[in-house]
Amino acid sequence: MYIIKNALVNIKRNKGRNILIALIIMVISAACAVTLAIRESAEKIITSYEEQNKIEATISLNRESIMKEFRDSNKSQEEMISAFNSIESVTEEDIINYGDSDYLESFYYTYDLSVNAKDIKEATDSLVKETTTTKTETTTKTEQFEGSSGGNRPGMPPSGGGSRTTTNRKTTTTQIEKIFNEKASAGAFNLIGYNSYDDMKDFISGNYVVTSGELSSDFESDTCVISEELATLNNLEVGSKITIVDPKDSTKTYELEVTGIYKENTDSSSNMKNMFTSSANKIITNINFVKKVLAGNSELNATITPTFIVKDADSVEKFTSEITEKGLSTYYQVTSNLETIESATESVKNVRIFATTFLLITLIIGGVVLVVINMINIRERKYEIGVLRTIGMKKSKVSLQFMFELLVVCLIALLMGAGIGSFTSVPVANSLLANEISNANSKYENINSNFGHRESLSDNQKEETKEESVETTEESSKTDENNTESTTSDKTETSSSKERKQPSFGIARVEQVDDINAVVNLKVLAELLGIGLLLTLIGSLASMIAISRFSPLTILKERS
Amino acid sequence: MNKEIVLSLKNVSYRYPDAAKDEYVLKNINYEFEKGKTYAIKGKSGSGKTTLLSLISGLEKKYEGEISYKDKKLSKMNLDDYRSQNVGIVFQSYNLLPHLTALENIILSMDISKVKADDKKCLAINLMEQVGLSKNMANRRILKLSGGEQQRIAIARSLSYNPEIILADEPTGNLDHDTETEILNIFSDLAHKQNKCVIIVTHSGNVCNLVDKVYELKKEN
Repeated sequence: MYIIKNALVNIKRNKGRNILIALIIMVISAACAVTLAIRESAEKIITSYEEQNKIEATISLNRESIMKEFRDSNKSQEEMISAFNSIESVTEEDIINYGDSDYLESFYYTYDLSVNAKDIKEATDSLVKETTTTKTETTTKTEQFEGSSGGNRPGMPPSGGGSRTTTNRKTTTTQIEKIFNEKASAGAFNLIGYNSYDDMKDFISGNYVVTSGELSSDFESDTCVISEELATLNNLEVGSKITIVDPKDSTKTYELEVTGIYKENTDSSSNMKNMFTSSANKIITNINFVKKVLAGNSELNATITPTFIVKDADSVEKFTSEITEKGLSTYYQVTSNLETIESATESVKNVRIFATTFLLITLIIGGVVLVVINMINIRERKYEIGVLRTIGMKKSKVSLQFMFELLVVCLIALLMGAGIGSFTSVPVANSLLANEISNANSKYENINSNFGHRESLSDNQKEETKEESVETTEESSKTDENNTESTTSDKTETSSSKERKQPSFGIARVEQVDDINAVVNLKVLAELLGIGLLLTLIGSLASMIAISRFSPLTILKERS
Repeated sequence: MNKEIVLSLKNVSYRYPDAAKDEYVLKNINYEFEKGKTYAIKGKSGSGKTTLLSLISGLEKKYEGEISYKDKKLSKMNLDDYRSQNVGIVFQSYNLLPHLTALENIILSMDISKVKADDKKCLAINLMEQVGLSKNMANRRILKLSGGEQQRIAIARSLSYNPEIILADEPTGNLDHDTETEILNIFSDLAHKQNKCVIIVTHSGNVCNLVDKVYELKKEN
């Protein structure tokens, strides 16, 4: 206790020096607060981006490897085609087997089946070629006239005297030629089956936007959404029924109800990939329905496209090895969007690295300055140390007293520095993050409207958010009460039973805006406290070494 | 009265760490100190008086021979504890903490020595009165006190944890004759009335005349 008392007396006594130390620490801590907040913001932005853009992996044919193998084996073209056709497709069982992995967050897959439909015409979004042909008809009227040259030779103009009149008539014919997609498969329509909103990337990206009705969140019903072109061409509207016909057995038919009509966003679809696909003839439904059609005819073949949501960057390679071990053919490869994600966050990561470097430099400089000041302090107070040691105070206690003095000064300066730092850094960091979050939220709203969920879902979402925030407040205020758990769980249940299956679209739609201030401040404060303790320790280390080396006798002799 | 030896030195020799092998400051010192007596260690400058005091007080630990406090070897004892509980040291230059008051200096010493007292302040004032200082001086800063007053405070501080041995290094070297006499009387009273062993290092003849026993150190060649 007397050590603390002594330390406080000394802090008061050595005002000048302590103010200098406090100013240095204040500058260091303000710089650290700004740097830490920037780091924190960068971290949040990266996390937010990574939450919004999950690492996705898919399985695709490794054409390069296949071609290389074919080339090396000197196969004829027929053999190559036959070998290519004999490559086994990845089945649903395979995908489910691969999806059962610790490296994945989730996985989903889509079915693409070519079908026909009864009583509806396919839309022609294929190329339309307009050909203009100009024909020129020439009528020749020949008059007899006298001439010197002999005779009339058929086909030869007469020569010599006489006269000739010629009339030309032009006829222009416009021909419209439709060039249908040759690559189109057996059926006129593509039945696309999804089992989750998350995989509906065209809707998420805004390529497709539901303009009438909505895309049902019930992935088990016999419902679909169709393109505007298809709807207009066949006078279909929300609630209409369409009959799907098995392309290989026209006696087998299946009925689907149209719940929504989507429009293809031309701006985003103006790419080569969509140009040659019958995008207007896509009938978007759920996997269960596609499976029902497939079950009706074993000759039908659907293309399955899996999407694996990988937990983190390190897991991509591990997952690839794992599914290779599980038996994925060498003709297939695992591709992911990892590089795209990493390159997108690179600039923010650079800011984070810069902030960390700046923080380290500040700490090193601060540490050195503190050590120097402390060494000067120790030299000036050598006599005091000598007296204390002579009257029996242990080295450890003398060191402790000096350390405590520095700690008190450090903490006061640290708090002031943190205050100044947070004044400047937190609003900046928050505005950066608020932008990020508002972008995420507006992105979510946009996607929601792409699915045809406009006002209703938006309101639901707001209500839900409100409910959740109330829950959080109640939870935190009632932590000591025994019934908290039951209250919270009851509420959660009510809320989950009330809500429809809400899509995430792979976006973390969390209530971050309220959280950020608290999280940043607490974390930054905790880190600053750690820095303060570290600086105190570094500064005190010098005094500890000096105190342990001082001989009280020598000090007092020097004084005498 | 039974003689009770509190401190004994057997064949104690000392040389400075950088000195030649046989260049001793102190050689084969054999002294004994009893409780209730005053001693003077006399010698010319450079005879090793202060060095001997440093050895006895535990401020210097590299020596040859054996120094015992009540049959306990100093070399085996924790010297910080020894200095804070068993031996009180009074220096010629007082060695008080100038930023503290007279009272605070005494109380700090009590704190370091883990003195258990309900009212340390009262105890400190009693000690001040015992060495002839008035209560009014308690809250004065050290630098506001005269040399004699500072030396009395140093003595009061050395008595604050009631040690059996009081070591004084030229305690009257900076004082006038009258004050010197007063201070020596305090030491004499401490030995004879409070049964302390008082060892004074000095070259003053006046001091030697007032103590019970004088040890003389001669400069080693």
